[in-house]
Amino acid sequence: MGLREDLERFHEVGENRREDLKEFISYGDLGGSGPNSINIPIKIIDLPEFAYDRRDMGGVGQGQGGTPDVGQPVGPPQPGDGEDGDPGEEGGEHEYYQMDPEEFAQELDEELGLDLQPKGKEVVEEIEGDYTELTRTGPNSTLDFEKLFRAGLKRKLAMDFDDDYVREACKVEGVTADDVFRWAREENILVSHAWVADAYENIPDDERGTWASFEEMAENVEETTTMQRIRRDGLRNVPFRREDERYRHPEIVEEKQKNVVVVNIRDVSGSMREKKRELVERTFTPLDWYLTGKYDNAEFVYIAHDAEAWQVEREEFFGIRSGGGTKISSAYLLAKEILDEEYPWADWNRYVFAAGDSENSSNDTRENVIPLMEEIPANLHAYVETQPGGNAINATHAEEVESSLSDTGNVVVAYVKSPDDVVDAIYKILSTESNDD
Amino acid sequence: MRDDRIDAQRVAKQLEEPVREASALAKKLGLDPYPVNYWIVDYDEMNQLIAYGGFQTRYPHWRWGMSYDRQRKTDQFGMGKAFEIVNNDNPSHAFLQESNSLADQKAVITHVEAHSDFFANNEWFGMFARDGEMLDAAAMLEAHGSAIGSYMDDPEIDRGEVEKFIDAVLCLEDNIDQHRPYREAGLPREKQGPEDLRDRLDDMNISDEVRRQVFSEEWLDDLAEAEEAEANLDEPQKDILAYLRRHGMTYDEEKDRAVEMEPWQKDVLDMLREESYYFAAQKMTKVMNEGWAAYWESLMMGEEHFAGTDEFITYADHQSRVLGSPGLNPYKLGKDLWEYIENSTNRREVADKLLRVKGVTWRNFHDEVDFERVQELLAPDPTIDGIRSDTVDDVVALGPDDPRIDYETLDRVLSAREADEESPVDVDAYPWKLLTYEGMAERHYSLVKPQNRGFVRRIRRSELERLARYMFDDELYDTVEEALADLDYSAGWRRMREIRESHNDVTFLDAFLTDEFVTESHYFAYEYTRSSGDFRVTSTDYEDVKKKLLLMFTNFGKPTVAVYDGNYDNRGELLLGHQYNGIMLDHGQAKGVVERLYDLWGRPINLMTIVKEYDEHDLEIARRRGREPEPVEAGKRIRYDGESFEVHDLDDELTERIAAGDVDYDTKPDDWLA
Repeated sequence: MGLREDLERFHEVGENRREDLKEFISYGDLGGSGPNSINIPIKIIDLPEFAYDRRDMGGVGQGQGGTPDVGQPVGPPQPGDGEDGDPGEEGGEHEYYQMDPEEFAQELDEELGLDLQPKGKEVVEEIEGDYTELTRTGPNSTLDFEKLFRAGLKRKLAMDFDDDYVREACKVEGVTADDVFRWAREENILVSHAWVADAYENIPDDERGTWASFEEMAENVEETTTMQRIRRDGLRNVPFRREDERYRHPEIVEEKQKNVVVVNIRDVSGSMREKKRELVERTFTPLDWYLTGKYDNAEFVYIAHDAEAWQVEREEFFGIRSGGGTKISSAYLLAKEILDEEYPWADWNRYVFAAGDSENSSNDTRENVIPLMEEIPANLHAYVETQPGGNAINATHAEEVESSLSDTGNVVVAYVKSPDDVVDAIYKILSTESNDD
Repeated sequence: MRDDRIDAQRVAKQLEEPVREASALAKKLGLDPYPVNYWIVDYDEMNQLIAYGGFQTRYPHWRWGMSYDRQRKTDQFGMGKAFEIVNNDNPSHAFLQESNSLADQKAVITHVEAHSDFFANNEWFGMFARDGEMLDAAAMLEAHGSAIGSYMDDPEIDRGEVEKFIDAVLCLEDNIDQHRPYREAGLPREKQGPEDLRDRLDDMNISDEVRRQVFSEEWLDDLAEAEEAEANLDEPQKDILAYLRRHGMTYDEEKDRAVEMEPWQKDVLDMLREESYYFAAQKMTKVMNEGWAAYWESLMMGEEHFAGTDEFITYADHQSRVLGSPGLNPYKLGKDLWEYIENSTNRREVADKLLRVKGVTWRNFHDEVDFERVQELLAPDPTIDGIRSDTVDDVVALGPDDPRIDYETLDRVLSAREADEESPVDVDAYPWKLLTYEGMAERHYSLVKPQNRGFVRRIRRSELERLARYMFDDELYDTVEEALADLDYSAGWRRMREIRESHNDVTFLDAFLTDEFVTESHYFAYEYTRSSGDFRVTSTDYEDVKKKLLLMFTNFGKPTVAVYDGNYDNRGELLLGHQYNGIMLDHGQAKGVVERLYDLWGRPINLMTIVKEYDEHDLEIARRRGREPEPVEAGKRIRYDGESFEVHDLDDELTERIAAGDVDYDTKPDDWLA
């Protein structure tokens, strides 16, 4: 198909062919601005064109929350600030909106049927919450009228009865007011003795003896329910009582801040070529984003390693290449150091994700990496093997980790051979964590 | 995959009614779109369509792979979601993503109808099509796709060569003369001008006798000669692609000289140039077109409740995200400007009526007029505003001659009611069906919307004076009531339609970007400052911001480079000139273009430009004093002979020719803050 071929040829440009375009290739960032957004590096080939000198051109910006002062620095111009730089933009018209990490996490939950609950370490913070607590006194403006009304209504319902029905009962042959009161109580009609006595007195003499017995009366006169009466007569006279008044005051909420630290470890040794690097990026980025969306406060540590390990910034992380050999334990040692110092297990949820092509120096996995993984407490340890097109013979790190640690419950190994495996890998990793309660 | 089709069909079924009704509603609002065919696609098909610029087939090239890669990652990582893409074609084709909610689908359908109206009626789009001929862009692009595909498959032609050739042309894809109709843009301008008056006279069927009396042969000869001389003036040609197509060659290494282009090369060049012209209108009207679509979408979805009440929240959310995306957002900028045009035109109409009331003049306008009362009088007739199935009788009461009522539809509703049949029109869902365009204009009159209250009052004295200056019947009405009864509610919409016909982004921004708008949106201009080595805010002044903004939109935001000579120095060298407006070329890129251009010319290339040079000493002093150094502007000619570059000073006469005298895009304050 046409576009697949276009995509293949695009990947080849500057790598296997078309050396002439090499100088126009850049690795840009795809992503939003804002503190929580994450950038995904992508390859961009910008064919040269007659353009203005970027510095000499200047531009127009939009102040966030006010017009800035003249003389204030504005940072380098953003790609997309101007008209150009957006390949394919010349096309038709389409709408976009930016998704935030929280939404992304939600979509992924839905898509994969996951529901990872952030848990464990929380920092407690006291915040004045909504006006949900109630007291019996307070300023009028905080009077909870709904509560008052409901209490009144309850009162009304409790006190309400079918007065016509009871009045009919007074017309039974030969009964006294006491008899009627007793009968009414037996029938669960909530009427007072005084009311019955009063009603009894007011029955005209010619109506006394209309009914032979209470039973006959009950058969002939239909009792109405409270609901029917309210519907018929409307809600008159809700009895409000001072003792029902409640005033709201703010509740003290213990807001729990959920923290997470994600350690991303990547093998940058010579064997990690473009394809492998891309697979790592494709797997790690959504994981990072997912966790950012799930937790209130997410921090990231990036560690690159060959035979030695060093901490890097995110911008460099996916692009680095070095020539050296590989010693995976070096990265775990560094991770342990950083975690112990800055992210105590008592306060932080920890995720340690490592990726590489499973090649490691001999015995390093068994003798050093596995013990270290056991020593670093974490919600989850994951190793992602990126080995396009299957296995190399000496690439056994993933298998060794899997066979020794897979039953500990917080270790998972995923294999990514092509971009199509990414989603499965993400699912495998995240579902391991969510099942671990 | 089969199941997916069933899903798509289900979605399509659901959308039949919204599609039909949106088109009817658009027409009722005075729009005149191309017919639109809607297609339901899944996310991957959507990504592909976007990569291909809204079409299903394009010529084979890695650039589509690149946009596909980006689009797919955007989608996969949830960085953004594409709802729809619509292409400029007759009929237009719009592709909707299957997973959109129904509210989103309705929103994009209304959006698409407005785009399609823009495609059909904006005259910059008309520049591409041949007069009276139907546009068939999909067929054109597909034909290009298969022609270029077959060159690539041709065993006689190296596929890599074709790709490289395409790249070279693409470096110049914006170097066309987009302000002229495609069919004549390639021809030098002068060829249109001098037409022998005799030919015209022949066409006019003037009798020989009259002709001899009025125009002597001698006079006609002189005239023709003079015009021809005039036309010979060496005018630079902006359409570089057309020039290369006619005079370009290719360098043959074996023969060590330039030879004629291969037929496939000429063909590819023609096709790519045609596509450039086809897409130019879209690039030139981005702000207008997106704003136009956002405006009508919001009117149809929000005010006319095209989204059901239950869908409205979803829609409002969608809309606020699209309009709220950060940066210089064409949707927001465009929509705001259109609304400003609508309001100010309506206001002018109101003022025009009020100034004709006895006793009201431009001087006492603000004291004399009771604006609260005006606001009440402007409010639409409650019957028009509140059409429901149980108020149909009120509509009838307006009488059969009321121009605001679509009497035919009303009649159908009434006769169904008399016959006790189901109403042919769901009046509660589509109340607008009982109204005409006039009725709709009143129903949606902008000046009574809550956000525009006070707009009439804010009219400036100077505008009133201008209006009053040439007014004859300035005592036409006795009362304000009488005057406003004559008000034309559709003035705003009419003006908007006129503007959408003739403007492009540059003229649009130039004419309608206001001081108020710039201030309220917190726009500012920035420049690179050498003393601090970074970009700094240089001005928040309206004129400065507008100047910079226009720079970003003029000529696709790119410098103008034109062909000045095809036989420079009498050696067949190409001479290009950068028409300098105070801003330098990006020299790295320019050299990249020239190198590739060599493949299309086959002989040495010269590029004239002007550079700003800074003296080291000045820089140092400037840095110390916190001032900006003054550059020295110098004309240069960059020559490339196929192997290496040389830079020569440009003689004064040529420098003069490429330097524009009075344009200044610099917004730096004279006294730079330390």
